[in-house]
Amino acid sequence: MSPYRYDEQHSPPEPERVSEVAITTFEHLYEVDPRLMQRWVLQQTFPNWDTLRIMNSRHDHLDWMHAHFATKVLQGSEILAELDEPGPLDQPGPGAERGAG
Amino acid sequence: MTITAERVDQVVERLLRVLRADQVLTSKADRYNRARVPAPFPVHRWAERLPDLAVLPETTEEVAAVVRIANELLVPVVPRDGGTGLTDGAVPLRGGIVVDVKRLNRIHEIDLGNRTCTVGTGISMLKLNEELARHGLIYPDDPASYPCSLVGGRIGTSGWSLIGSRYGHTRDLVLSFDHVLPTGEILHVGDGIGRKITKSSSGYQLKHLFMGHQGTLGIATRATLKLFPKPEAELSPFWAFDNYADAYACTGALARAGVATFAGAVLFDEHKVAYLRRDDEAYIPQPQDVRALVCAVTYGYEDEVRPAGRRLMRIARDHGARYLGDEISEGDWAARHDRYATPLHGRTKAGQVVPMSWHCEDASINYTNLPAVTREWHAIVAQLRRQTDVFDDWGMFAYTNGNTGVDYLTEIDVGIWEQRLDDRAWELWVRAKRDLAAVSLSYGGSISACHGSCREGEVDLVPDELGRGFGVMLDLKRALDPNNIMNPGKYHLDRAYERDGAGT
Repeated sequence: MSPYRYDEQHSPPEPERVSEVAITTFEHLYEVDPRLMQRWVLQQTFPNWDTLRIMNSRHDHLDWMHAHFATKVLQGSEILAELDEPGPLDQPGPGAERGAG
Repeated sequence: MTITAERVDQVVERLLRVLRADQVLTSKADRYNRARVPAPFPVHRWAERLPDLAVLPETTEEVAAVVRIANELLVPVVPRDGGTGLTDGAVPLRGGIVVDVKRLNRIHEIDLGNRTCTVGTGISMLKLNEELARHGLIYPDDPASYPCSLVGGRIGTSGWSLIGSRYGHTRDLVLSFDHVLPTGEILHVGDGIGRKITKSSSGYQLKHLFMGHQGTLGIATRATLKLFPKPEAELSPFWAFDNYADAYACTGALARAGVATFAGAVLFDEHKVAYLRRDDEAYIPQPQDVRALVCAVTYGYEDEVRPAGRRLMRIARDHGARYLGDEISEGDWAARHDRYATPLHGRTKAGQVVPMSWHCEDASINYTNLPAVTREWHAIVAQLRRQTDVFDDWGMFAYTNGNTGVDYLTEIDVGIWEQRLDDRAWELWVRAKRDLAAVSLSYGGSISACHGSCREGEVDLVPDELGRGFGVMLDLKRALDPNNIMNPGKYHLDRAYERDGAGT
């Protein structure tokens, strides 16, 4: 366990602009551009550990939800890779026509 | 307050003959907490929607005793389950007694042989499924409010499930239930009269009548539910498109493909993608040519889901889809209940962030009418936004209603700056809701697939939607609730009593 140092906890990575309305600090962590939170809702300052805790808790929650509804999650990337190896059930069906309806 | 303080004392005195003191709640906090629902409403008018008192019955007989007293004293009764509904079914419009069913939350039976369970209607699907998982089973009623809505509320609204294309919606999953009529009589409702019968042709089919009435015909207290094996595998690919037309065509093809494990397809339009790109971390970094999204979901055994996934993936690829990757696909599907747990914000026209509540319209629209309804709905919300920063267009979804692709729950999400919702803005909103409902009906749709349609604005068009059926509703209401005590003021059902002036 590393000691808690105030300055360290309140020095997030230098923000990078990712769109007209958003910035990123830590990897996979996006925030509203602070310029857009100056009147009605003000941005709050979080220590880094709390910012990361919130992000990681989010993943815990999503994992829990998957496990709650099914025993395992199949990855779409695997299924996509299997498309080039069609089995007998994979012939296009009558409902699959492009642009029907 | 719709009844005087003296009458409240009289009602409390009578209630204490059938309930313990801790089951009769009169404090401000107890009453205020039971006036809250997620659908936005002007803050300065919340006092109009307060109950005079609340009760916490624990058995069907206690509910019946409360309702009998209310019927005798002509006091309004409003059933309240999770309070998560979006059409104000649990909101008291004339005060009275809120019957909070949260203590009717027991699992009475899990019948493994017949694959059913019998529960008090105050249980949430999440807590029920935690218990059912021990037996490898699931009750697959999956609304956006899944973690916090209750079985009884699902019956009262005849709810819609996100995975209903695979397992059916609440009306298909509830086999039967005990129901307290507005007179306090107890009725068992099911196909025929059996508790665990899925199909009967004996007599009138009353189950649908006592589902979706928004608490105007009584209170469900104990329900027997259909169970399924807990799925072994889940697959929920999300795909990106550079235009709405291809995404729309793809959604239709996925839904029409007839894949047995297909649990639903969702189409996100350009406005929804624009909203996600400004405020959802998964989409902020997406390239600008992502203009529409489609998601498909399948549940079942792995040896069913895997080939089903290949078929769906091929259909998507043939329609020009780009797979968005495992992280977004899995994460976004698992986040489908977030709107009930996450603080939301929108933007003023100048781009500043403001706190907003979420409202969505939820019409049922045929597939072939989705593009036209989408255009017309956005035009209505754009007109609102031009007039005030109180409203923000958060885009539209279309979800399959069933497994053949005939119609879709068609949803426009509108952020509403609730603290700024004054009388003028509320009037604008009510007018817009009326206009949105009119568009749905003009295309042969239904005003609501899921929530019900008894909020101000849309409710005015219910007689247009139902025609003579609305007259039958009035006749039934009058016959079953002769004193108009059960959730009065909803669905224009007061018209049932206009001839003789009866009721509260």
